[in-house]
Amino acid sequence: MRSGLPFETTGICRIVDDPGARSVDAMNELSASSRITYRAVMVRPGVARRIRGLSDRTLAWLFITPTIVLLLAINIFPLLWTIYLSFTNYRANRANVPTIWLGADWYQSILTDPDIWAAMQVTAHFVIWTVVIETVIGFGLAFLIDKKFRGHGMWTTIILLPMMLSPAVVGNFWTFLYQPQIGLFNYVVAFFTGRDASSFQMLGDVRLSPWAIVIVDAWMWTPYVMLICLAGLRSIPDYIYEAAEVDRASKWRQFWSITLPMALPFIMLAVLFRGIENFKMFDMVNLLTGGGPGSTTEVASITLKRAAFESWRTGYSSAFAIILFVTVFGLANIYVKALNKVKSR
Amino acid sequence: MAEVEINAVSKAFGKAQAVSGLSLTVGDGEFVALLGPTGAGKTTALRLIAGLERPDCGSIRIDGRDVTGDAPADRDVAFVFQQYSLYPHLTVFENMAFALRAPTRRVPEADIRAKVQEVARLLHIESKLHNKATQLSGGQMQRVAIGRALVRSPSIYLMDEPLSSLDAKLRGELRLELKRIQVDLGATILYVTHDQTEAMTMASRIGVIEAGRLMQIGSPREIYENPVNAHVAARLGQPTINLLPAALFAGVPAGVETIGARTEHLTIGRGGGDVSATVKRVEHLGDQSHLHLDLGGRPVVTLADPEAGLGAGDEVSLRLNKPLFFDAKGWRVAA
Repeated sequence: MRSGLPFETTGICRIVDDPGARSVDAMNELSASSRITYRAVMVRPGVARRIRGLSDRTLAWLFITPTIVLLLAINIFPLLWTIYLSFTNYRANRANVPTIWLGADWYQSILTDPDIWAAMQVTAHFVIWTVVIETVIGFGLAFLIDKKFRGHGMWTTIILLPMMLSPAVVGNFWTFLYQPQIGLFNYVVAFFTGRDASSFQMLGDVRLSPWAIVIVDAWMWTPYVMLICLAGLRSIPDYIYEAAEVDRASKWRQFWSITLPMALPFIMLAVLFRGIENFKMFDMVNLLTGGGPGSTTEVASITLKRAAFESWRTGYSSAFAIILFVTVFGLANIYVKALNKVKSR
Repeated sequence: MAEVEINAVSKAFGKAQAVSGLSLTVGDGEFVALLGPTGAGKTTALRLIAGLERPDCGSIRIDGRDVTGDAPADRDVAFVFQQYSLYPHLTVFENMAFALRAPTRRVPEADIRAKVQEVARLLHIESKLHNKATQLSGGQMQRVAIGRALVRSPSIYLMDEPLSSLDAKLRGELRLELKRIQVDLGATILYVTHDQTEAMTMASRIGVIEAGRLMQIGSPREIYENPVNAHVAARLGQPTINLLPAALFAGVPAGVETIGARTEHLTIGRGGGDVSATVKRVEHLGDQSHLHLDLGGRPVVTLADPEAGLGAGDEVSLRLNKPLFFDAKGWRVAA
């Protein structure tokens, strides 16, 4: 039986490969012992068809139906429902009040509301600075780790630690670090600048708090960007550098004309992921500042949460949610087009 | 172009000794081929000269200057890699112009353009200049890789099996082209290959490498006719030399353990030879036939005239005609 095994495998391969065309040749060429195995293999799909009465296509549908149903129920339906609600005066806490169709009223009032634009500006500040800082530092770290010095594996693990924590943990943890009297952050800044540690409040100051949330996000997610960049750098084969070396390219030129262009699709992917993620940022900022002081760190999703679950303006917040969705979807699409262009260069 | 001199160079990777005590001089304008099986240290030898590896001991001189400790960029060598090593994100033109664009060179853009065009014409890839390097066929990529070296005028061109990944037809064409280009440019080339035909047809001298050591170096004719040992003898010749125990034949000089008989050393007759053998198989190649013989249980392969009309089972007699003699360790013994 054991000797028959390789033949059986070939038999299956032949069927998968090209059932019709090769079977005749195969039958003629196969030895007597393998012919038996071959016939057995030929029989199998037919049996399945007869017994269960299912075609491959039916079977495929059967397998993906649960996923599709789940997707429709928890993704597509809520999206459509939200779109509907965004045109009504529906309030989730007063379900008995008759729903009135308002048309695009909410959209008009949101897009002309200076508070919303302020929230969008806070979001933009947060997204742009976190992405810039995380990309620059993340790529820098990846570049250093890629040098494969002694203990680079251990350093990779250490650098990745923040990313593995829960945002809730990070939020609480940094609230303590930012404590003016006992916080480590203020102490370190005081140590290096010589100013008094309790003379500034990262989370309580209107000028500093937008930066406080940028710092925490950069601390937490730079490792993620590093990881993606590292994958990009590792994908550049050594022999390309050897060729450049023989072509008398300096290290500087190698970086600009080989390393950076070849790692660029990966860097752009990291930017995309972080951009989308931070556009939707809620948990960490909510824990750190709750949007304050005033509304200086009130990113769009905090505004949204307040409208939806504090003022209970469900229709209004649905409209805002749709606006945010369309914005991030549109921007991401344009960006992916650019990314594909870079990739196919 | 310049003379390159390698003196007693050794290199080990961990416990594996890749090259040991290699000495070799490539004269100005000379085409030297290093021939050896996979893992013999040919590529390492090339990389040592390029500066991609540092030797453990020994010295390397290019144009009389000691470059043993220099970086590849300071050695003025061009390298054609076996796996092409093209810059995938650049066009063919940019790939070939890359070396000329070194900031230290300051070659005017017009000159770069002219040079790349000229080399591209030489290699028949002009129409591909604006393609991405990754949009080419294997043969075209290899031409670009060769072109990237040819745009420069280095001290020496180092080529690491540049034709090995091509199909037989293309390999034959490029072999001729490469030789023509070398003659036209008067280029100094050190060429690594495991293909005896490439070595025989292109090289002015062949160095046979085995297990990191240079066994013999000389003109193709010299290596073929006068190999120092059985290893070298087995490297050249198609079909491969037959190594037969001396005991099978009478009248062999003292101390000879093995007799090396190439096809031209064997005269086949219908009787009256030194020994008789049985024909096992005849492979017809058209102009000639491979004759597989059984000589006292030993396989012997030789060439035969298709007109001879031999078939499996026939008895033939063999007569040795000035064969090569080797001692117990495989070294050559004078006849």
